[in-house]
Amino acid sequence: MNRTTLKVAGESGMGLLSVGRIVAKVLKHMGFYVHSDREYPSLIKGGHSNLQIDFDLKPIHSLSREVDLVIALDRSGLMEYLDVIKKGGVLVHGYERHHLIKDLHTKAKKRNIKLMYLPAHTIARSLGGSDVMVNMVLLGLIWRILGFSLKPLEDAIKKQFATKPELLKIDLKCVQAGYKPHELKKIPQYKIPLPKKVPKTLLLDGNMGVALGAIEAGVRSYFMYPMSPASSILMHLADFSHETKMVVKQAEDEITAAQMTLGAMFMGSRSFTATSGGGYDLMTETVSLAGMTETPWVCVVCQRPGPATGLPTWTGQGDLNMVINSSHGEFARLVMSASDPTSCYEGIQHAFNYAEEFQIPVIFLSEKTIAEAQTMVDVFKSKIPIKRGLVTGKNLEKLQPSDRFKLTKSGVSFRWLPGTSEIGYYGNGDEHKEDGTLTEKGPECAAMYDKRMRKMETLKNALPAPVVYGVKKGADISFIGWGSSKGTMLDVIEEMKKEGIKVNYLHYEYLWPLKEKPAALFFKENKKVHILEGNHQGQLATMIEAATGLKFKGRLLKYNGRHFFLEDVMEYTLKARH
Amino acid sequence: MTNSDYKKLADRKSDYLAYEGNEIITWCAGCGNYGIQKALERAMVLEGIKPKDALFCYDIGCHGNGSDKIGNKVVYTLHGLHGRVLPVAAGACIANPTIKVIAEGGDGGTMSEGVNHLVHAVRSNYPMVFILHNNENYGLTTGQASACTRKNRPMNGSPDGVISNPMNCCDFVMGLNPTFVARSFSGDVKHMTGILRAALKHNGFAFVEIMQVCPTYNRATPQEWYLERVNYLKTTPKTIDLARKACADLNNKINLGIFYQHKKAPNYMEMLVNRKGVKTTPMEEVERFDIKPLLKQFE
Repeated sequence: MNRTTLKVAGESGMGLLSVGRIVAKVLKHMGFYVHSDREYPSLIKGGHSNLQIDFDLKPIHSLSREVDLVIALDRSGLMEYLDVIKKGGVLVHGYERHHLIKDLHTKAKKRNIKLMYLPAHTIARSLGGSDVMVNMVLLGLIWRILGFSLKPLEDAIKKQFATKPELLKIDLKCVQAGYKPHELKKIPQYKIPLPKKVPKTLLLDGNMGVALGAIEAGVRSYFMYPMSPASSILMHLADFSHETKMVVKQAEDEITAAQMTLGAMFMGSRSFTATSGGGYDLMTETVSLAGMTETPWVCVVCQRPGPATGLPTWTGQGDLNMVINSSHGEFARLVMSASDPTSCYEGIQHAFNYAEEFQIPVIFLSEKTIAEAQTMVDVFKSKIPIKRGLVTGKNLEKLQPSDRFKLTKSGVSFRWLPGTSEIGYYGNGDEHKEDGTLTEKGPECAAMYDKRMRKMETLKNALPAPVVYGVKKGADISFIGWGSSKGTMLDVIEEMKKEGIKVNYLHYEYLWPLKEKPAALFFKENKKVHILEGNHQGQLATMIEAATGLKFKGRLLKYNGRHFFLEDVMEYTLKARH
Repeated sequence: MTNSDYKKLADRKSDYLAYEGNEIITWCAGCGNYGIQKALERAMVLEGIKPKDALFCYDIGCHGNGSDKIGNKVVYTLHGLHGRVLPVAAGACIANPTIKVIAEGGDGGTMSEGVNHLVHAVRSNYPMVFILHNNENYGLTTGQASACTRKNRPMNGSPDGVISNPMNCCDFVMGLNPTFVARSFSGDVKHMTGILRAALKHNGFAFVEIMQVCPTYNRATPQEWYLERVNYLKTTPKTIDLARKACADLNNKINLGIFYQHKKAPNYMEMLVNRKGVKTTPMEEVERFDIKPLLKQFE
């Protein structure tokens, strides 16, 4: 691996995030490709957190488990991550009483890890700073170790604290003191080749991708009840609301958010909601209503591990079965997934088009690691047209009430918005006839049920097929997966190529209705197909096996709240390819 | 209703007929819903609201079974889920405030399953009318107790009599700083028409409770019982404290009329800071939005 990885560790509230943001941005402006994510507990102050940044000269899409450098802002940060530092790596810290921790020095010595202690508290205070500015002192030191010039870092700090000139002065002094520490005699030095050019990219998280995509797609109202890790979509859209004039409403609960979304979509605006698994549980009756009344409805589900409150600030892929099978009754729905900020941005736009054209609920799965990881992606290109599937213009004059739920071959009937035609209709949650009036007659009920279910097949045919990454066929080892697994697999494919191992990966962005034929073909063209999924059962694997009658060679499953690190899959690959 | 109102109804016969349903009605004989539906149709016509400019949203219950019995091919309705009519209607009226949204719910769905929605709908002052059909029981599930059933009254599922205190819906709403609270009675179509007209004109969340008879399951408070007790308010109380007093008695002298109205309060859409000066509706605004200026901070 050519990438360099560094981890900033400390208590929540110690300024980890601001250090991480600055570093990621500077590296980006220097021309590096950056991927960064944060691990933190579900509390506001205290508790242990870390922020990891991987960077390289070429695009990277995942985080590695082992790191080159750790900046420990406190005592727990010192011990917690000693084991994940590579042999010969560096641990920078400012903990005065480090010599009292016996294990630290013996453990570090055993693996040849260089412990770099700088009395950062004393330095920060002597420069007029507070304890929080320890992070700036240590940042200066790490920058020196990385062998980078101080200028771009200083520029970034100036920009970040432009509105707080007093604070900025001290921050700069702290960084400079850390960069040229007279307390240290020998400073280890990395020789990282510098990028030759700065690629045009964006650095943002998945939830921001969702927000931007939704804005572009013409969303005019957003309803949400806060829940980690989806909450930042609410903040992002609210922060943009003066530019966009979007109605951004924090509802009284998830049921309300789901219902308001349905009401707004029924009336003809574009609207959506977002939540995590627990909030989605509350929304399921509304999903069923959307299915029955054939009202477009869009919800982003940012997954975190359950059951119950589970691990609120960690990641997983445990809710696939739930969103496919949630809600009473049977009806057509679309389940799709994001894998990075770009797919969040584009996916949400497609979600609206599918929801409106097919008049169905669409559940768009994200994950904590996608929602919050800051990743570099190509500059977004606006290319997805708005498709609403509405009756408009002169055609509105030809309508009959029975057109609204007409028994069509495709299952998709005409939809027009309240107030746009003299001809109305009954949006009925009870079983109904073509104009929406209630019926309980057997044949009429079955005919309408059939019509709604026909949309499943129509939709399945319209969906894009899953995409193969890596060699097209004849791989030494193959994987199928969805969601954030894609990023890890893209990097695994490259790393394994260097070892002469052919790896390929079939990525399911659209999960339900399941297109099983591409999976069957993938099995045919590749000898050893494995699944990787962030859940205990291998939920997609089981679906694919049931649909194709084929069997995966193995299942790489992870459900401890962490995403797949690069090494997780590389080690599995090396073992399982034989 | 005055004589000139009747003349108006006659003049607008085609509109009136447009609001008349075509489906077979499935309510019990003597059900209060007939009168409520009739009064609503009249109020719509008298207020000059064309069928296509309204959206009727229904909860689940006996009143909801009328969701496809109103209008003849010309109205738009949404018949949603139990207890959820308020949020779904709120979403609809936000999306297009130029369409008059009328939501209806029963005392079961409104005061139990969805009571939180009522709280926040009042607080939010959504521009819509809400008609509470209060027949003091769960009719469609065959006569169980609701939060409004009288104490000690034996009901299906509560054979020993209801042990908890009944809610006074108007009084409950009074505590939430409402902008329109009124009460009427299903036995008086004229009075209901007048109240609903005022509600339709109100700029904000108009809460209308209708004391509704249920000849099948509510034998405690039938038509005659109400007729002996209802009292028509001559004026609207000046303050919310007086309004509270006026709506308090549900046993002896049951006041009907507008208890409280705050005409100048801005509605939800008018309160949104970021939409000051916006003349279009979110429904009309659905089009591609140029996000380029927003991307700068991520470069």
